[in-house]
Amino acid sequence: MNADTADAAIRVSHVVKTYPLGAGEVVAVDHLSLDIAYGEFVAIVGRSGSGKTTLLNLLAGIDRPTSGTVHVARADLGSLSESGLATWRGHNVGLVFQFFQLLPTLTVVENVMLPMDFARKVPVADRRDRALHLLDRVGIGDQADKLPATLSGGQQQRAAIARALANDPPLLLADEPTGNLDSHTADAVLKLFADLNADGRTIVVVTHERDIRSIVGREVTLVDRRIVDDERTGASA
Amino acid sequence: MTGLLAVKLRRDLRATWPRIALMVVAIAVSLTAFSAVLYAWSAIDREVERAYLSTEPASATIRFAPGVDTERMAAIAAEARDQPGVLEATGRTQFTSDITVVGEPRDVRLQVFAAAPDDPLTMARFFVEDGAWPPDPGEIYLGRDSLDLLEVAVGDAVTVETPDGEAIRLWVAGTVYDPSLSPAAQEQAGRGYLSTASLAAVGESEAAAAGQWSPGSPLDQLKIQVAGPDETTPSRDRDTIVAVAGDVALWLQQAHGLAVAEIQVPEPYAHPHQGQADALLSALLVGAGAALLLSTILVANMLGGLFAQQIPQIGIMKAIGARAGSIARLYLAMTLLIAGVATLLALAPGILIGRAFAPAVFDFLGIDPAGLAPAWWTYLVVLAAGVVLPVLMALVPLVKTSRTTVRAAIDHRGAGADPRRATRVLARLGRIARLDRGLLMALRNTIRRPARFLLSAGLLASAGMMFVAGLSARDGMEAVAAETAELLQWDVAVQLATPVSVDVLAPVVGQVSGVERFEGWTTASASLSGPGGLPVSRTYPDQGHGRLQVTALPADTTTFAPPELSEGRWLEAQETGAIVLNQVTLAAADADIQTGDTVQLSIAGVSTRWRVVGIAEERGATSSAYVTAEGLATALGEPRWSNALRIVTSDHDEQARATAADAVDQALAGAGIDVQSADSVGRQEAVTGGHLEPILVILLATALPMGVIGCIGLASTMGANVLERIREFGVMHAIGARPKAVRRIVIAEGIFIALASCLLAVLPALGVTAAIGALLGNTFMYAPLPFRPSILAALIWTGLVVLGAWLATDAAATRASRLTVREALAYL
Repeated sequence: MNADTADAAIRVSHVVKTYPLGAGEVVAVDHLSLDIAYGEFVAIVGRSGSGKTTLLNLLAGIDRPTSGTVHVARADLGSLSESGLATWRGHNVGLVFQFFQLLPTLTVVENVMLPMDFARKVPVADRRDRALHLLDRVGIGDQADKLPATLSGGQQQRAAIARALANDPPLLLADEPTGNLDSHTADAVLKLFADLNADGRTIVVVTHERDIRSIVGREVTLVDRRIVDDERTGASA
Repeated sequence: MTGLLAVKLRRDLRATWPRIALMVVAIAVSLTAFSAVLYAWSAIDREVERAYLSTEPASATIRFAPGVDTERMAAIAAEARDQPGVLEATGRTQFTSDITVVGEPRDVRLQVFAAAPDDPLTMARFFVEDGAWPPDPGEIYLGRDSLDLLEVAVGDAVTVETPDGEAIRLWVAGTVYDPSLSPAAQEQAGRGYLSTASLAAVGESEAAAAGQWSPGSPLDQLKIQVAGPDETTPSRDRDTIVAVAGDVALWLQQAHGLAVAEIQVPEPYAHPHQGQADALLSALLVGAGAALLLSTILVANMLGGLFAQQIPQIGIMKAIGARAGSIARLYLAMTLLIAGVATLLALAPGILIGRAFAPAVFDFLGIDPAGLAPAWWTYLVVLAAGVVLPVLMALVPLVKTSRTTVRAAIDHRGAGADPRRATRVLARLGRIARLDRGLLMALRNTIRRPARFLLSAGLLASAGMMFVAGLSARDGMEAVAAETAELLQWDVAVQLATPVSVDVLAPVVGQVSGVERFEGWTTASASLSGPGGLPVSRTYPDQGHGRLQVTALPADTTTFAPPELSEGRWLEAQETGAIVLNQVTLAAADADIQTGDTVQLSIAGVSTRWRVVGIAEERGATSSAYVTAEGLATALGEPRWSNALRIVTSDHDEQARATAADAVDQALAGAGIDVQSADSVGRQEAVTGGHLEPILVILLATALPMGVIGCIGLASTMGANVLERIREFGVMHAIGARPKAVRRIVIAEGIFIALASCLLAVLPALGVTAAIGALLGNTFMYAPLPFRPSILAALIWTGLVVLGAWLATDAAATRASRLTVREALAYL
């Protein structure tokens, strides 16, 4: 880690990501570089196939770059093992998925407590209280002891956001968090992200929602696997 | 594992309980079979040794002539104890007799064992149950399993004949338990025990005058125990026993002037049926072990499917910070729980079935167990087999799944397998006009997951293989009985007490009503000579197991069909010096005998030499040798005589045979010829059948756990197939498929797998049929059973497996048919 990477929450340098496909390979991200400072609320937008989800997966350590480097939250992700990445994610990153991805056999509050069990940052005695607090904060405290299947889509996404906040990570990465929600619920979720950003958390949201400009501080546009526009909107904290 | 992962584990188990239950049942069923056999075996092994050794069996029995009186025998036994290598010695005698119960003759004969009244029974013991040793003069104890066979009760009067033909009337005073002998019913011979005092009352006879047997000097056997290396316990080494017994026999000849007729050295420390019991239990244990292995492979596969289903959740857990170790511990706990519960469930049934099964084997061996408790180590083996084996088998999918990366989890698509593989294989079927699309889809889906398909079909095929092989072995046994019946081309066999010229017999037997024709044969007990030219056999005290019988055939015989020869040729008419041995004799011989070799046989106390010209393969036969009548007369230096008649009756039903047997018996008796037995040919079949029937039942029972596991495998496969294709079923419903159509497709898949398993089972079933036939045949008959694959068994199994497949697939089919589009598309 050098001084530059220490300053940035995210530093992506000349990253290429290709996937094998049949006899050849497909380029998902092509020579992409991006810096995101701590505290920023960044939207990565683009059409389907533009490379935005691949970029988010690279930032979460889910994918490894074919070439180039990815530094996130003071770690060079390319140098970490799978086990190291899991530990790193538990401490530094909260992930939110389009389809919520709550564990179906755990209750909502247990889903939120689970990352705390993995990371062991929060004392055991405090975990349930913290989980309930986070659920209260995202507005579904009264649903804590229900199974995810009994919640609406919006409630499940709020639970997923509470789970992402479980270990108080400095960075939230969200992949199409509103893609499976109606517009009213989507607005509420985006508002929640804005509030979290206002607390000083770095947030990167991959979305195809054009309306997000109004709440994010920066909008990075991908076309054909490259960044074609990187615009600060001035809306974030 | 964290507390929440424990919660998740508990709820996952609850959510997938039907599959978990199937896994538990699969392991529990096979482990029950495995543990039952193991528990039974450990108890049987211990109890057989305990019971057999409790009789302090003789290492060797030296038969000599003439017999000696009890006082002289006591002196000889005392001197024998001082011979090198001899631990203990005692004198005995035995003979076989017809028996009459309360004036009614019995078809079954009686083996009579006699000892001096003051014999302390410290070796070659038997246990008097109602009474004490010795019985009073005029009393006889009967083996307790002989009572039913002889239809006699304690308190009845019986009449037996001594070897010199004198009838003695005895009172049945009690019963005896003799675990050194095989059960009376299996050998179709009763057993009686008396003291020589009961024989002394009999008057002298021609036989006594000839020095062949004397009621006053009846003891013609010296039984010895040969010391082992520790010089305190009997030897386990048969070669050592043969050597020491040979020295003692020479000493008897030289020091006491007794002619040694035979040295009998059975397998040390082995009950007469020990080998058969061991072979049977080994085969059962291998079968049960194979079922256990198959079930653990099935469970590993089912767990693999369950883990695969959890991959999206594993991805989420990894994404929120779980490490591979945490995930591995979660699924290891799941595997351990399944294996542990199955092992617990199998414990009690295993013990109960083992305890129920062991008595059948004890009956087979004629042994009273002191207890049925399994050995302590068997519990450890069962625990290891039940808990460790499934974990080991599941280790690969467990580690593989726990190391799934988030990326791999995201890419996971459930069904996973490349449908094009099946499509390519079966693409051409699609071109067939009017072929039902649903069935075509089912057919393609059947092999969509080749590994899973092979596992399911393989499990069912294994069960089918055992079922067909078991029934085929039964057919093979029946073929042996048919072959034996074919060889017995007479209706009545008569055994004479003393040899008589055929010329004397002809006018007597020929005039008996119902007799069409007859032949005079000669049969004699013989022994292959061992070291020093002394005849050594493996004969047990029952004089049946290990006994070699020589049959001398007349040149013009029409009632004897030469058996199949595995080597060499059959006897030529009136050939002398030539002998054909059967495979049982070869197996019992201490030397490697081939055609062209010369063997030395002791026949009726005369040492004779023969050139082996052929090896016969006679399934269902005892140790036998064949010579010509002229050959035997020449070898013994005597004129031709016969002691066995083979009679062909006018009618061939049992009633006609029995009537003719009685008439011949009476005619011969009227002519002053002593008849030892006159039996219908039907009795010989009863002896063979008594040995094998329980084994066939047990053999077929091994197919049962395999069939259950096979159906569980199929149910599991279909359950997993439906789970993985929930979205596909959703799409089918969305595009208009009715529940009935979906249900039909799923059930058709199950039936296709079942039918495929039948095809897969064909070759292995033929192989296992041959292997089981070889095992059973070689164990009991020293020759493989005839190869008789059972078409009927194959048809029955096909019907059963299709029905089983229908039932096993029903739950999965019901689930698939009831899925709503919304459920299917929202499925995680």
